[in-house]
Amino acid sequence: MPDFNPTQYAVPLFVIAVLIEMIWAKLRAPEAYEPKDTLISLSFGLGSTIAGALLGGFALAVFIEAYQYRLFDFGLQWWAVWWAWPVCFVLDDLAYYWVHRAGHRIRWMWAAHVNHHSSQHYNLSTALRQSWTGALTFGFLFAVPLVLLGFHPAMIAICSGFNLIYQFWIHTEAIKRMPRWFEAVMNTPSHHRVHHATNPRYLDRNYAGVFIVWDKLFGTFEPEVDDEAIRYGIVKQLGSFNLLWAVFHEWIGMLSDIWRAPLRHKLSYLLREPGWSHDGSRETSDMIRARWKSRMGQAHIGDEVAPATASVSTRNPIAAGSEPA
Amino acid sequence: MDIPPLLLQTAGSLAAILALAGLAWWLKLGGAPVLVGDSDIRRVAGEVEDGFEPLDWAVSQDHTAALARDAEGRIMLIRLHGNRFAGRILGTKAGAQAAGDTLTVGCGETWFGKTRLIIANPTPWAEAINRISEPCHA
Repeated sequence: MPDFNPTQYAVPLFVIAVLIEMIWAKLRAPEAYEPKDTLISLSFGLGSTIAGALLGGFALAVFIEAYQYRLFDFGLQWWAVWWAWPVCFVLDDLAYYWVHRAGHRIRWMWAAHVNHHSSQHYNLSTALRQSWTGALTFGFLFAVPLVLLGFHPAMIAICSGFNLIYQFWIHTEAIKRMPRWFEAVMNTPSHHRVHHATNPRYLDRNYAGVFIVWDKLFGTFEPEVDDEAIRYGIVKQLGSFNLLWAVFHEWIGMLSDIWRAPLRHKLSYLLREPGWSHDGSRETSDMIRARWKSRMGQAHIGDEVAPATASVSTRNPIAAGSEPA
Repeated sequence: MDIPPLLLQTAGSLAAILALAGLAWWLKLGGAPVLVGDSDIRRVAGEVEDGFEPLDWAVSQDHTAALARDAEGRIMLIRLHGNRFAGRILGTKAGAQAAGDTLTVGCGETWFGKTRLIIANPTPWAEAINRISEPCHA
């Protein structure tokens, strides 16, 4: 069985890439980085690695147990079945799409995933801003069907590692758009900027990991428009650089809501979408978008232009020059 | 002595983190945006809550914080956070104290902290904030 963790080998590349992007920022867009934000994002990354090492064993144990009940058997030398690798990678990316979508639509899972979104910046350090508490949300269960199909847990772990590595480079404003064919199939900086945006038109869109086709297939795709500035972060920005508050704020908020809610609504605060409230005092992303659409006028809202300010490409000349897909 | 791999990896990562954050500081990345004109206030208020349209506002002397009020009488506190702006529509937990030309405003959230604004005639703002009885929206 291969003992290989691709993300371990990628860490030095991550560091070099952040370094290069910082130099780009110095020359082209100094506002793209903020030292305290960078420190927090990278600390998230370190804490996430430690949490993964401490808590990841549970997921592995579940996978190994589930593997006993697999439908198909690739044999003892499963790693030598070459075609199983790309199939596993694609299916793992499909599982990622759904776990990611659940991470935005179920508050229990959002409590962990919000960490990745709570920076008001969008740069390569944001990519490393990973949750410490992901293991508490049981998101790994979305990959169990792959195990049951017969893909070995190690194969899934390796494919997930490459998936994570792919997602690193798309966290940048330095690239406007990739070639048209690439934008059509793959997740790109442009598509993922949309995902990190809090502009109403972009909320809860583009959940893809590697292949953007999942969003197009399941109706959650939203293209980046050139004439609307993106604002990053979360609907209610943290306004704090306290690391522990950044890690646990949504858990505290959720548990506090559950504690205070009437009995029949408690479970909804755990399982419904972020922003839901039993008394209608808050707004979900769907409500925010609906209010925005209503304000902007219903007709052909997708083609309309909201507040006209400079887009990423306009602000960053290095990124200009490509056509949208 | 064998050093556990996780400890070694953690120490290396920590060193890289401090080096990169230090580099960002050394390169003077970030900058310090300010709220200068009406358009800045309108834009940032709209970012804090989509659709919030300020009717009147007061910007702190250093242009890093502001209060804005909309047609519904809601009051929004805006302040610099790093090199971005963050804000809250003030609710029942908000409070304000005026002293001279200094207005100190808290939205009631410990980690959002209190914001000090230097503005002309801060007392009416303080009174308006302390009168708020609606729940916090933002």
